[in-house]
Amino acid sequence: MTYKEYLRVLKEHTPYDFSEYSDNSINRRIQKVMQDHKMTFDELTARTLSDNRFVEEVVEAITVNTTDFFRDPELWRFLFEKHLSIYRKNGVINIWHAGCSTGQEVFSLLILFNELGMLPKTRVFATDISQKALDKAKEGIYKHQIERGCIDNFSKVFNDPKKGEQILDKYFDVDSMNDIITVKPLLKKNIKFIRHDLVKNGLPFYNKMDIVFCRNVLIYFNAKLQTRIIQRFFDVLFSNGTLVLGAHESLNGFFKTKFEKTGPVFKKSNGFHFRC
Amino acid sequence: MNIPDQKFKVVVIGGSAGSFSVVSRILSQLDPSFSVPIVLCLHRLKHIRSGLVEGLNMKSKIPVVEPYDKDKLRPGIAMLAPSNYHLFVEFDGTVSLSTEEVNNHSRPSIDYAFSSAAFAFREKALGIILTGANRDGAQGIKCIHDKKGFTIVQDPASCEVDTMPRAALKLFTPNQVLKPDEIVQVLNQLKG
Repeated sequence: MTYKEYLRVLKEHTPYDFSEYSDNSINRRIQKVMQDHKMTFDELTARTLSDNRFVEEVVEAITVNTTDFFRDPELWRFLFEKHLSIYRKNGVINIWHAGCSTGQEVFSLLILFNELGMLPKTRVFATDISQKALDKAKEGIYKHQIERGCIDNFSKVFNDPKKGEQILDKYFDVDSMNDIITVKPLLKKNIKFIRHDLVKNGLPFYNKMDIVFCRNVLIYFNAKLQTRIIQRFFDVLFSNGTLVLGAHESLNGFFKTKFEKTGPVFKKSNGFHFRC
Repeated sequence: MNIPDQKFKVVVIGGSAGSFSVVSRILSQLDPSFSVPIVLCLHRLKHIRSGLVEGLNMKSKIPVVEPYDKDKLRPGIAMLAPSNYHLFVEFDGTVSLSTEEVNNHSRPSIDYAFSSAAFAFREKALGIILTGANRDGAQGIKCIHDKKGFTIVQDPASCEVDTMPRAALKLFTPNQVLKPDEIVQVLNQLKG
């Protein structure tokens, strides 16, 4: 038996479908599940077919949850200085974080909106396949962020070395002894956290979106699945909506003509944009 | 020197401490018509993340690019694993990126780059491990060896830090143990 056959078992007998994930990464993560449980493929399959709780455990182990506050500071600085203000005239700004993981980027974006005086207009849908990650995001309690350089990141985003500490104190309750920071309630008011599998589930809301954030999620999918998901993002966005991808993700083929690259982000447009 | 007779679909080069100058030297002496895709997986200092691709391009005889996810390997182009991402070679000759946890304290992990190339291309992968200060890469290049790919370890005597090549030599016997200039000679005689 191979990992491909195991993925077929998952697809046919559970709510999850990883069959169009990037081969190397999914293979290695399944190998790791087998190692951790000291199981062969046959044992893994048998347990998968008989134990729903175990299936959830496998899904948690397969999915990747690494994220940071303001990962790639240049992107956030662009959003803050040049981009988010285009939605200032909106009555409501609808934002979907697809694959929000433990929520750091959800709160990063809301910090920017609050600094721009636009926080009350925001309505955020934050979705992820991992219930554990969502639970953490809802709590908003983070360890080891100071050690990982979040203050420096804050300063870079606002282009001011003094700003890092200020932002930290303004938006977080800080326990510096234990390096634990807790998101203050003002950032949490307008967020709905929803468990959602981007691959299998329909949209968990009826709203059209102004901004779709989906950073370093599509990299785990093969090119065909990526195209399907980007089509969904295209459909759910308003016509001047913004799609924000990871620093090394891009749109392929057809979609290059349906979005306009603006700095590091993609803006949906009705016209065609031919790129040479 | 023994020049491999088989055709290769990818050359993966992994290095850490001291490897920038070795990689520059290799790229600067490559035949401009070199026709096998190259993947470079180099550890970077945390705070010096930019400038590496520019630095390598100044010296290199072939273009060095930082790929986007699912970009295709191309003959005569060197792809540099972007900082803070793992890079995997896939069956269809594309590369996938990943932000998974660090491996051996490293992202990109050289083990992942090597083992993915072994998984995807088996005997058509060629792995080269250079100078470096940790063990990342040793297990991965052994995967290439196990799948009958071709393996070269930089001669520890020629390394700024020899931990990485020595870790590899402990695990298996590579096809070649070579100094940087000899590595170039092998590369320039490869069939694409």
